Amino acid sequence: MERIGVVLGRREATPLEFWVGVEGEGLLRLDDLVVVEAFHPKVGQVRYFGMVDHVAKVHEGEAYDTDTFLAVEGRIPVSLAYVAHVSVTRILPEEFLPPDPGSPVRLAQGEELELALYYEAMRNQRGSTKLPAGLLKNGEVAYLNLEFLNGVKGGHVNISGISGVAAKTSYATFLLKSLLESGVLEDAHQAKVLLFNVKGEDLFFLDKPNARLTEEARRAYERLGLPATPFQSVAFLAPPKKDGYVPDLETRLEGVRAYHWDLVQFCQRGLLPFLFADRGFMTNLGFLVQHLTEKLRRLAEGQKGPQLLVEDWPGEDLPAEVSFESLGKVRLKSFADLVRYLEYKLLGPEAGEGEGDRAWTARQAKGTLEAFLRRLRSSVENVAHLVRGDRPGNPPDPLKGEQVHVVDLAKLSPQAQMFVVGSLLKDLFERKERGQYRGRVFIVLDELNKYAPREEESPIKDVLLDIAERGRSLGVILIGAQQTASEVERRVVGNAAIRVVGRLDAAEAERPEYRYLPASFRQRALILPQGAVILHQPEIPVPLLVRFPFPAWATKREEVREDNSAEALRRELLG
Amino acid sequence: MWRLLALRPSWPSPEAEGPAPSDPEGFRPLEAPWEARRAEALPWPEPLYFVDGREREEALLAQGERLALLGCVAAGVVAHQGGRMALLSYAVRRVGVGLSEPLWVGELLYEPVEAQGADYASLREGLSRAREALEGEVAAGLSGGLLVVDGPVRLLRPGPLLGYIKTHWARYLPGPEEALLYALRPGERTPAFRVRRKGMELASWYLRLPLPPEGLRPPQAGLLRVETPLSGPFSELADLSLSLFPLLASHPMKDPRAPQNLVPVGALERELARRMGSPEVVGRLLAKHLGGG
Repeated sequence: MERIGVVLGRREATPLEFWVGVEGEGLLRLDDLVVVEAFHPKVGQVRYFGMVDHVAKVHEGEAYDTDTFLAVEGRIPVSLAYVAHVSVTRILPEEFLPPDPGSPVRLAQGEELELALYYEAMRNQRGSTKLPAGLLKNGEVAYLNLEFLNGVKGGHVNISGISGVAAKTSYATFLLKSLLESGVLEDAHQAKVLLFNVKGEDLFFLDKPNARLTEEARRAYERLGLPATPFQSVAFLAPPKKDGYVPDLETRLEGVRAYHWDLVQFCQRGLLPFLFADRGFMTNLGFLVQHLTEKLRRLAEGQKGPQLLVEDWPGEDLPAEVSFESLGKVRLKSFADLVRYLEYKLLGPEAGEGEGDRAWTARQAKGTLEAFLRRLRSSVENVAHLVRGDRPGNPPDPLKGEQVHVVDLAKLSPQAQMFVVGSLLKDLFERKERGQYRGRVFIVLDELNKYAPREEESPIKDVLLDIAERGRSLGVILIGAQQTASEVERRVVGNAAIRVVGRLDAAEAERPEYRYLPASFRQRALILPQGAVILHQPEIPVPLLVRFPFPAWATKREEVREDNSAEALRRELLG
Repeated sequence: MWRLLALRPSWPSPEAEGPAPSDPEGFRPLEAPWEARRAEALPWPEPLYFVDGREREEALLAQGERLALLGCVAAGVVAHQGGRMALLSYAVRRVGVGLSEPLWVGELLYEPVEAQGADYASLREGLSRAREALEGEVAAGLSGGLLVVDGPVRLLRPGPLLGYIKTHWARYLPGPEEALLYALRPGERTPAFRVRRKGMELASWYLRLPLPPEGLRPPQAGLLRVETPLSGPFSELADLSLSLFPLLASHPMKDPRAPQNLVPVGALERELARRMGSPEVVGRLLAKHLGGG
């Protein structure tokens, strides 16, 4: 390769960074990768690989800013200096001597590019672990080391970025596409994905081709070695409407299932704590919640549901719609019934100054019991359609059936969102812990700041922390996203081996959570265009700016390419 | 063995043309009437060359009674062409005035240059002549266009040539005509008059450069004397000079020698200084190799 410049001598050249003067028609841009060779008689040849992270042009010899006007008018001669700052990514062999000023600088290409980005080290005994993660500006594929994503050496991805500039969700789904279909993840067919849809209905067309996919985007997929197709095996789950049992979605009607838990599942799986987002375990309330969860679990033992049967609810307090079964037990048919039953167990019969059942009250003061019931009653409005006694439970099960499960949360109240996320994650994690599923599970969750806030405690945060800290060894990988990493629990972000940054807010970019980015990247995070993210992974000392192609799957109704083939029409008519 | 007598003997080197013979008696106007002249704006000829040189005294050496002056001379050309001003060529040479054979000082080679006398003043003059010779060399390679040299016209070339004098030691105009100098306004010139020097016949005129802000300085400020060989089309060149020099005048905020030190020439001098090497580094080299002798 021809040289495009030389190492500058006026500025310090060190083994970790140096300046390059670009000569003649040479072109060096941010992110370009370069190679410099040095020779010392005692160590021999040393190669420096580096990435350009600063470029500048300046008129040399101009004493005043206004001299530029003279230069433009052709009144003074100027010499144009074009310099670039290079951060060294790698030295081969590892001899940390400085390069000589004047050494020729070349662009790294082919094998040297691989060396510069440590690609050649991304392999294990069974083969390459290079997972396509986007395209570099020079058109080459940017890779992630899969072993830092699938839990072998590290796990979890954290994505930051302001919303609306198509970074977080788009990049997360692109990464899933690469994980599931690039062939790099060996047991990809066993992998399961749980995607939470928190906003709009963007993720409800993952299985539909995107009509706006351009030829250029297709070529990008081809270069990445990925099929430009939508996801093949996706289940769509949405909460039911509050009246009736129709999935609460507007843009997609076909192929969406409603999900809910029945009362017996609610009790057996111990989901009561997920209704109390602000619980502190040290308080009496926290203790009471734990105690009642256990009581309910025992109560539901052996029951089939969906209704919950209770024996000890005397007739006079019963709501009108509650019925008795043959053996004289009372049948609870709705979440509201369950709340009323708990009220009876804790405070005694409504009429009279009775006392609650001692076995249930756990000797808590009346104030605590009332506080608990107040909160429980207020949750009826939010979750009654999700926890029901009128039909057998059908909660999402990401480990069965389709490979990707999209679970909608967008229309739920914050309390119900917490409940769904917490319940699903806890269940999933417990089953993985017990070894009930062998494949890897990827969980995509946006708005981590809500589920694992830095300041407060909540049962969901506990589950997320558990996943972040122990998940990777169990094969549970969290692909978390948030607008602002500074508001998310440090340990959740800190455990992510792969960090991705989309466009950031200027104040946010200055926070310590982004210190791992060199200053120039923090600046650029403010102006990242659509479809570009900054990718940081443990093995490569500099972040990479990568572009990822436009989704091959539709992200809204208008993008769906209608399938009008005869085959499809027949299916629709007959099916 | 040469012994180091002084480093940078005249540092910083004074910018001195020195007094020249003055002869207001031989005054002969070439244009009439004697009054301020203006001219329409004319396009600059292409290419337009500016030649200038620099000299630097680096060390004074002694060997018994003999003295030698080590110095560095440089000359360069900037050319205006196609709307751009660019450094065209330059030459840098280290010379030892008064040496009889080349002298290596570390990696620096000082070539011998003869001097007229043995005293310091003659050595300095020898250095100036070396610079003039180098200016002549870089100018000799230029063809076509108009050549502008810093200082009086000393050489001849096939094409048109202008020399300009920034500091006025000599009086060329007798009293009545001299009054016009103080009445000149920016962008005006005097009529041309004849100048004879060292056997050369030249046409010369004064023009006033803009020196913002106007009205604050004495009437002599901003005067530039321009000369050209009398044999050439001096009248057209005089008119052209009014389109040329005022546009190239430097600004007093930026250059202490404003406005006469033209901007391209100022930039050329900076470039040459860079190429002559850092005086500190050269001084240390000389001290290392010659010091203590």
